[in-house]
Amino acid sequence: MEKYIKDNAFLARWIAGDLSPQELEKFQKSDDYPVLKRINDASQNLKAPTFNDQALLNKLQELNNLQSTRPKGKVVKLIPNWAYAAAAVVIAFGLFYVMTMKSHFETGFSEQLAVVLPDNSEVKLNANSHLDYKTLGWKSNRALQLDGEAFFDVEKGESFKVFTDVGMVEVLGTEFNVISRDSYFEVQCMEGKVRVTSTVLKKNVILLPGDAVRVVNNSLEEWDFALTESNWTLGESTFKNTPINQVLMSLENQFNITLDKSNIDSNKRFTGAFTHKDLKLALKTISVPMGLSYSVDKETGIILLNSNNNN
Amino acid sequence: MNKETKSVCEEINYEHLFRTHSKSLFNFVYYKCGDRQQAEDIVQDTFVKLWYNCSKVIFDKAKSYLYTVARNLFLNEVAHKKIVLQHQSLSFNDRTNESPEFLMEEQEFMIKLKKVIADLPEKQREVFLLSRIDKKKYSEISEIVGVSVKAVEKRMSLALITLREKLGNI
Repeated sequence: MEKYIKDNAFLARWIAGDLSPQELEKFQKSDDYPVLKRINDASQNLKAPTFNDQALLNKLQELNNLQSTRPKGKVVKLIPNWAYAAAAVVIAFGLFYVMTMKSHFETGFSEQLAVVLPDNSEVKLNANSHLDYKTLGWKSNRALQLDGEAFFDVEKGESFKVFTDVGMVEVLGTEFNVISRDSYFEVQCMEGKVRVTSTVLKKNVILLPGDAVRVVNNSLEEWDFALTESNWTLGESTFKNTPINQVLMSLENQFNITLDKSNIDSNKRFTGAFTHKDLKLALKTISVPMGLSYSVDKETGIILLNSNNNN
Repeated sequence: MNKETKSVCEEINYEHLFRTHSKSLFNFVYYKCGDRQQAEDIVQDTFVKLWYNCSKVIFDKAKSYLYTVARNLFLNEVAHKKIVLQHQSLSFNDRTNESPEFLMEEQEFMIKLKKVIADLPEKQREVFLLSRIDKKKYSEISEIVGVSVKAVEKRMSLALITLREKLGNI
């Protein structure tokens, strides 16, 4: 057999009719050829058993139809639908909470508080003051709600606004002081530029360093102050031609006392300063230049102020 | 319809696939196992599987999918018994003028041949029969069986050599 077989695909090539005439001739002379030829001829006459494809197709169609209509068993979801709804509600609440989240700061009597805002701006809250701002989107909307007195050291950036009941302060610079109590509104600019808008008077003032403005009795007063003057953040409250009521209110806030101001002339103005450390000294520094005397009610703790001139 | 967009899930296409391939698929499995019932079952299961996965099988790839599935189904049948191929005997219409002795001898040879083919190793047998009965080209067989054309040729030659040796000289 080996005489004519050249490779192990030789017979396969013969079957396929791919032998060259020379190869075929040589192969036909071999002993194996008649047998192999007979095997080949005979095997080509073999037949596979009949295969009833129509019957099987019908059966298949039946099976396939059955399969498509057969209930496929209950599919239990890993995460039920209500869980999605619940999650959505939780997320909605969370978002709502974050969007409207406000930071609130508050100082009581005799308290001072330093607050660092998200952009590193600093706010010093004086006694008995409230400060509110939205934490989210602070960088794009720097707006604060203030009731009381606060000193601002603002970082550069978008406009920085302080809203109060009586007016709005828009920062064009960096350091300023705001007082907003009841109908009294006072702004002092220490550095840069500050625009003050009085909502009551519908007026606009731009303050430069050393400028100050106040709204009192529905009129706008502007004055200058020395930048070197100490301010309340350093433990001393300074006033310049300020209504006496305002000065005394500041004193009340600082020392947590109650003053009876019924006997004094509220139109008087005070220029000067009082310390935050010593009540007696503070009372003296106000009452002496204003020509006032004071007496303490032992029971109620109320300090009664009297005008010396009237007595 | 564009060939690429033909969906196996459509009844017409599915039926077309069945008509084109079921017979040769049946033969292929039959050559492997020699059991008509088993072959029919495997063909049926294969087409059921095709229908079940019709959305995942591309029409053009359906043929090789069918053969692969059939092959695997066959392999999954753990014990396949020693088999006896039962080929339909052929009518020798063109040889009716032969002598009775010749016919006898011819029939004997056929019986012997069938037996020897049945004794062939499965891999050689399926290649040999796919080539001789189904008249498939080697390239086509290689696709069906899942081996290279070279391997198919080798198996074919080996099958012939084995047959030749077992049948001896006649």
